[in-house]
Amino acid sequence: MIVQTALLIGMVLFSVLAIFLKDLIRAAISLAVASLLLGIIFFRMGASYAGVFEISVVAGLITVLFILTIALTNTGEEVRESRLANVVFPLFFAVFVVIDALVMKGLLQKIPALPSGPETGTFGEVLWKGRTLDLVGQIAVILAGVFSVLALFRKRDKHD
Amino acid sequence: MTNTWYLYLFFSAGLVFAGLYALLSKRNLIRLFIAIEVISKGVSLLLLATGFAKGNVLVAQALVVTFIVVEVSLVATALAIIINIYRHTKSLDVRKLARLKG
Amino acid sequence: MIILFVALPLIVAGVLPLIGKVSRRVVPDLLANAVLLFLLVYAVAVGRPLIGNGPALQKLTWLGETVNLRLALDGFSLLMLLAISLVGLCVTLFSIDYMEHYGAKANYYALLLIMIAGMNGLVLATDLFNLYIFLEVAAVASYSLVAFGLGQDELEAAFKYLLLSVVASAFILVSIAVIFGMTGSLSLPAVARALQDLKAGPVVGICAALFIMGFGLKAALVPFHAWLPDAHPSAPAPISAVLSGLLIKVSGVYALTRVFLNVFGLTPALSNVLMSLGTVSLVVAAFLALGQKDIKRMLAYSSISQVGYIVLGIGLGTPLGIAGGLFHLFNHALAKGLLFLTSGSIQQATGTRNLDEMGGLAKRMPFTAATNLIGSLSIAGVPPLNGFWSKLLIIMALIQAGHPVFALIAVLASVLTLWYYLLIQRKAFFGKLNERWAAVKEAPFWMTASTVLLASLCVGVGLFFSVTIKSWIQPAAGVLAEGVQAVIRSWGL
Repeated sequence: MIVQTALLIGMVLFSVLAIFLKDLIRAAISLAVASLLLGIIFFRMGASYAGVFEISVVAGLITVLFILTIALTNTGEEVRESRLANVVFPLFFAVFVVIDALVMKGLLQKIPALPSGPETGTFGEVLWKGRTLDLVGQIAVILAGVFSVLALFRKRDKHD
Repeated sequence: MTNTWYLYLFFSAGLVFAGLYALLSKRNLIRLFIAIEVISKGVSLLLLATGFAKGNVLVAQALVVTFIVVEVSLVATALAIIINIYRHTKSLDVRKLARLKG
Repeated sequence: MIILFVALPLIVAGVLPLIGKVSRRVVPDLLANAVLLFLLVYAVAVGRPLIGNGPALQKLTWLGETVNLRLALDGFSLLMLLAISLVGLCVTLFSIDYMEHYGAKANYYALLLIMIAGMNGLVLATDLFNLYIFLEVAAVASYSLVAFGLGQDELEAAFKYLLLSVVASAFILVSIAVIFGMTGSLSLPAVARALQDLKAGPVVGICAALFIMGFGLKAALVPFHAWLPDAHPSAPAPISAVLSGLLIKVSGVYALTRVFLNVFGLTPALSNVLMSLGTVSLVVAAFLALGQKDIKRMLAYSSISQVGYIVLGIGLGTPLGIAGGLFHLFNHALAKGLLFLTSGSIQQATGTRNLDEMGGLAKRMPFTAATNLIGSLSIAGVPPLNGFWSKLLIIMALIQAGHPVFALIAVLASVLTLWYYLLIQRKAFFGKLNERWAAVKEAPFWMTASTVLLASLCVGVGLFFSVTIKSWIQPAAGVLAEGVQAVIRSWGL
């Protein structure tokens, strides 16, 4: 439990860093570290497949995509962020965390839940046989992503 | 719901809050999208924690895996749009994108 | 084979870009239109008898093993499928000519087909997470379709649309996670049954609130509407037609209605919230539409307003109200699709969307003017067109249920709607012919044909409204009016 909580705190920390770091590349790497920690958290919950996916896809692939974009849009001119928003954030976040903790304490045992039946099968069976329509959806969304990128980067000879 | 679920919900809420705050206050297009990524982390954490609390880790994993695949498509599309915006305006400032009144 | 509604567009979409490399001109157009025509015929011919005795369920076997591919086609789903195929077919017909100068037509058709597949999957899903996935499929396809022209305005609109839409999806997923935690299941019948047993008041309220925020944003209900007036005008005209005519209804109104009426059950509190949201959208958007110079922007605000009507009718919860709301959903899909297509014709002919610059186009583009008039009158609710009957039903339902104030507001907003639509007609089509447009021609064949088709449907559905209501709307309204029982009893999986 302690380890899990420490990992969770670390992940939130790195995510917040990813948003507030000035240098975009460092922000992207911070996001990757947060994903790594999340993957480990998944592992420790017994979800090894989700952990592997999280680390390889989010910490790996998405980080690469981000760094690619950052490289392609390297202006040299920084986008000035609002100083006020940066300074005020810790305060707001602290307030939110306090409210969050109080709400959680208040909600303890309050949300009713039906006991769930025991789980059967392996992950493969659950994914391929239990949630097959999700797989169709995955194929569809991958096709959509691929065609989107192709459409958005096509050679244009005429403007609309 | 077991007590650990509330712990995960606590952190997940924190992530979503941070992401939403960034969406409202940040100006760099890429940073806005990093905020979206943070929100996605919060949501996937909550999904898996729910499955963990119910003992249904396998189903939850299937959900999280599918969600991550959707997220990848989303990232690809969004970054393609950002790169195109950069080609037009040579800047990543969302304030420069204020031509439409909304 | 209900799965065809999802599988066919997807498979063709996957193959299209390859074919597009080989044959640039005819084959992509032919294929896309053929798919939609097939879906339409299939929905009408096969769908109707299928649901004759309650919902048609489909479980598949793949290579001898049962896979969990559960789709359910009931009256409500069938109505949506019909609307999707009808408007979709007209959009693909329109795109044959309109998308010529955008380039990459095969790619465009592929994305459009994926969006159609996503919407079809959404209305056929029996599982909360499946519903979410297909919602995302349609959404991801729509982001790049909005940005398809690659101009700065389109990209900006697409990016803002994307940001807001992803936040909405996050809210929806959080709610799904909590429901999963409470009930231990994701399939709609099981969740409905479990929620009945649980009686977990406040938490269900929080989930409902999250769903309203999420689906409400997809449906562009006020105050979640900010993305629509930018996204719909900037998109290419056929895409605006699909977005306004279909996507906001399928991923917003359908999902909201299915979850609230068939799974949560419509409590009085929920009904009040929905009715208030609907009325606010109705009024606010109608006023905002008045000051617009850009014809597509005015149409976009009008969409927000009409979705308010639909949610008002459905939120009322009485059988008459639900029937009115659903009929208006169908009519608005036809009419708004039509109007966006004609605005595309205007834009292609004159190069502008600014109403002040147009004038007297009726002399040069008679078909476009006529179909635009029919579409406008339909949405404004002028008899004997279809919009009149659906609005009448909603108003009657409101009065019957004892909400005369809402009914009055609805009537007044209708008058406002009629006003600004007639304004469009006058500014764009009638009046003196602006010399700049002295040489414009009527829109090309397929564009005109598709708008004439939609306009004829508006007239036809209006004239034969009782037949339409009996065959298509009643089954749908019946399913919804049954509330939670409809899903628990007959989707028993």
